[in-house]
Amino acid sequence: MADSDNDSGGHKDGGNASTREQDRFLPIANVSRIMKKALPANAKISKDAKETVQECVSEFISFITGEASDKCQREKRKTINGDDLLWAMTTLGFEDYVEPLKVYLQKYREVEGEKTTTAGRQGDKEGGGGGGGAGSGSGGAPMYGGGMVTTMGHQFSHHFS
Amino acid sequence: MDTNNQQPPPSAAGIPPPPPGTTISAAGGGASYHHLLQQQQQQLQLFWTYQRQEIEQVNDFKNHQLPLARIKKIMKADEDVRMISAEAPILFAKACELFILELTIRSWLHAEENKRRTLQKNDIAAAITRTDIFDFLVDIVPRDEIKDEAAVLGGGMVVAPTASGVPYYYPPMGQPAGPGGMMIGRPAMDPNGVYVQPPSQAWQSVWQTSTGTGDDVSYGSGGSSGQGNLDGQG
Repeated sequence: MADSDNDSGGHKDGGNASTREQDRFLPIANVSRIMKKALPANAKISKDAKETVQECVSEFISFITGEASDKCQREKRKTINGDDLLWAMTTLGFEDYVEPLKVYLQKYREVEGEKTTTAGRQGDKEGGGGGGGAGSGSGGAPMYGGGMVTTMGHQFSHHFS
Repeated sequence: MDTNNQQPPPSAAGIPPPPPGTTISAAGGGASYHHLLQQQQQQLQLFWTYQRQEIEQVNDFKNHQLPLARIKKIMKADEDVRMISAEAPILFAKACELFILELTIRSWLHAEENKRRTLQKNDIAAAITRTDIFDFLVDIVPRDEIKDEAAVLGGGMVVAPTASGVPYYYPPMGQPAGPGGMMIGRPAMDPNGVYVQPPSQAWQSVWQTSTGTGDDVSYGSGGSSGQGNLDGQG
């Protein structure tokens, strides 16, 4: 599968990435919304519980990513892909997650495969990505939506070039 | 402090399910705790089954519960991470959703044990302490939160733990008819209040259905065993 980052892109992103406080966590509104799906309708969630889960999720991402990154380095590969993440989850005890996520990843690749096969103009692809981002943005905080647009455009651009 | 929310009136909740024969004390003893664990396992198994079914029907990879840009930024916080394929943040968006759901379900069990309607930080600390795969999160919760968990676990042996800031209430089952009757009446409302709520989410619907069934079974057995243990200790 094509890399979403080329060398210069990766380096630039790395260089520009300043770990601001708010950037270290996923948005509390999104986290809270997911938490509510696991609780009875009349349950409430304290703010410190939401913030604790925010921290836990970031730790989860770093934990899995670190293991996957180590594997890539051992195998002299530069890019972390979905299979590396699934392997890391298995290694770190999250077997329950791997089965549904394998299905999810397979479906994603099928969809992406269709897009690649029926690839139109570059503009169309970027437009499509932007549209998706806008859709997500309207559902949540505008500033996050904007971020998603940028990222998705970037990813799709590199993915199909 | 606990924030106790008023229970909704039964009349406003539609058709209430038949109340369980007995209600177990949250920290009534080893037997009750084991039954709670059993109940939790059932809930989690149903959760995973539901997730597999839901993922089978996914066909939209543009709308995520979590922003991909932020996930990518967190991944890149590790200096060793150089390049990330497009599929990685998308896969993580779903993985993190599963993680949040599992952690929240396990945390809610602890809140229920303490008869609370509000999920608190110490509930999450308890879930982390009790779950092996969450060991990597131990440093995130301060020790005083974990101490509360120790108090809960010790609840089976120590009737009145004072180290914890959370008060426990043990209905004196098997005692004189008057207080016993009142206790039976009072706890019975909680299950009704919880399980007759109309769910606004598909998962909540499945979860609550399972919870109702599981609770009926567990409460019956747990209550019997729990009360026996309490009488023995008393």
